[in-house]
Amino acid sequence: MTEPPEVRGLPPVVAVDALASTGEAAIDAPVHGHIPGRERAEQIRTVVIYLVLTLIAILFAVPFLWSVLTSLKPLSETLSFTFLPKTWTVSAYHSVFTEFSFGRYTLNSVIIAAAVTVCNVFLASLGGYAFARLRFPGRELLFMLVLGTLMIPDQLRLVPVYQLLVNVLPKYLHVTLVPSRLGFILINLVSAASLFLMRQYFLTIPRDLEEAAKLDGAGYFKTFWRVMLPLAGPAVAAVTILTFQGTWNGLFWPLVIFQDSSLYTLPIGIARFHQVYTTLWPQLMAASVVALVPIVALYVLFQRYFVAGVAAAGVKG
Amino acid sequence: MAAISARERVQRWAWGSERLREALVGYAFILVPMGVFLVFFIFPIGYAVYISRYEWGIFGKIDYVGWGNYRTLFHDEIFWRAVKNTAMFAVAVVALEVTLGLALAVVVNQTLRFRTFYRAGFYFPSIASSAAITAIFIYILSANGLLNSFLGLFGYHTSRPWFYDSSTALWSIVGLNGWATSGTIMLFYLAALQSISVEVYEAAAIDGARAWRTFWKVTFPLLRPAHFFVLVVAVIGALQIFDQAFIVAGADGGPNYSTMTVVLYLYNKAIASVQFGYAAAVGVVLFVGIFVITGVQRLLFGRPDVA
Repeated sequence: MTEPPEVRGLPPVVAVDALASTGEAAIDAPVHGHIPGRERAEQIRTVVIYLVLTLIAILFAVPFLWSVLTSLKPLSETLSFTFLPKTWTVSAYHSVFTEFSFGRYTLNSVIIAAAVTVCNVFLASLGGYAFARLRFPGRELLFMLVLGTLMIPDQLRLVPVYQLLVNVLPKYLHVTLVPSRLGFILINLVSAASLFLMRQYFLTIPRDLEEAAKLDGAGYFKTFWRVMLPLAGPAVAAVTILTFQGTWNGLFWPLVIFQDSSLYTLPIGIARFHQVYTTLWPQLMAASVVALVPIVALYVLFQRYFVAGVAAAGVKG
Repeated sequence: MAAISARERVQRWAWGSERLREALVGYAFILVPMGVFLVFFIFPIGYAVYISRYEWGIFGKIDYVGWGNYRTLFHDEIFWRAVKNTAMFAVAVVALEVTLGLALAVVVNQTLRFRTFYRAGFYFPSIASSAAITAIFIYILSANGLLNSFLGLFGYHTSRPWFYDSSTALWSIVGLNGWATSGTIMLFYLAALQSISVEVYEAAAIDGARAWRTFWKVTFPLLRPAHFFVLVVAVIGALQIFDQAFIVAGADGGPNYSTMTVVLYLYNKAIASVQFGYAAAVGVVLFVGIFVITGVQRLLFGRPDVA
């Protein structure tokens, strides 16, 4: 099955193929051959490179280090400069979870991220399987349409989607969609990027296994569920992680849909907290650390899957 | 022959045939995703244009105004301020993130100890919560924050609240956003750098070219396809700047509109002021703007493609 040229040009293909074949190794090839007689120049080069590397590493590490250190200080120590806390304390964490509602915000973030992730994995794998394997008229055209949605900016969608959720759909569905988790989950049931990742992966799985299942008399859904989905583990993992991360970090749509403090997610909570309590630095840093930790954990455990989503996610604004 | 194959085709599409079953199952499997894409992505394009031609309140349309919203927009000083801020932001942040991203890519592409660790670290801000990162930077750039303490070490004593001084607010967001997104750019460049064959470098080394010269004369031109791709992605991302500006200043784009961006203005008009028709017009103008700029980039540089 040959790819339409537009699809082949898109970067996620590169990323997914790398994921499918070798993971991290795909961008880990050796770089320079050794040229004799240039040791001195090589030495200088090495020193310069390590120097630059160290400076950049400090630039990237300090903000995170500083937030963790500050979150462990009492408020009084943030009034003047001290690098390490004189008194190490977790009172800021205690405070954000008890005096302020960050426990609820965290729970809200977990709920929507989990729900959106489950929906994305199921719907994107089912749809991706259909686009990769089942033959039906208009398949290529519909898939182009799916990819086309990646080019529609969220900002153009803000007003019409908001109107749909507030005025149009409730008339037919008889439910409140704003402010409601349901509204948020509904517009995020499945993303074109997830569907694309799944389809590309299914295309790389050999047909033999599927045909064996068919000969055994398995129907289409059973073939998908019992044979193909278990084979698509890496792609499922990538969609799971990327969707969870994207939803966990998201600010724009939650801000639009969750206009009720009982539904606030962590990013909204952080934004509002800062706007109200401008100088409670230990608490603000503690809340930020809470928002960062799950992503750090996922990243440490599943680093290579994040790379697969680079192009799909684009550059955040 | 032709008659037989035509008959075969007819038979294969008959009721109860495997071919028809497969097609129906295929449609069933994509039904929900296509529904989501049609209702929440494709339809909203037209609906946005429709709404933009009305005065539209919280309960729906109030009055047909034709191109009225666009005319008002054209004379709206705050909107132009937002356009100017967004343009300045985009130029500065794209320059910063692309330069930094390329530098990072070149550095971590060397044979280094812990290379994978550095790569992972530099990419982390790109996947971390923008709210958390912005909060951290707000603290670091605050009046008695880490940056001002650091500058004090060099004899530059200031208590400037960088994000809340109208002359530095936008540039502080540039720094924050450039820092946070350069890791993504690094990965794009890294993929491209890996595709340059070792022989090219060996040839340059045999010619006696120094590292700096090799970079500008050999590596940089060979990265051409990656440059174009990176520029397009970075510009689109920059024009949609919202998160950091919102967290720093709320929907008002303060101080004195110095951080008001187009998307912030759109959000402000829609959610805070409930002027949906007007907000929809801002969205349409932004979309057309992004479309035109991307088109111009394509015309200038050819098809963007990652190597």
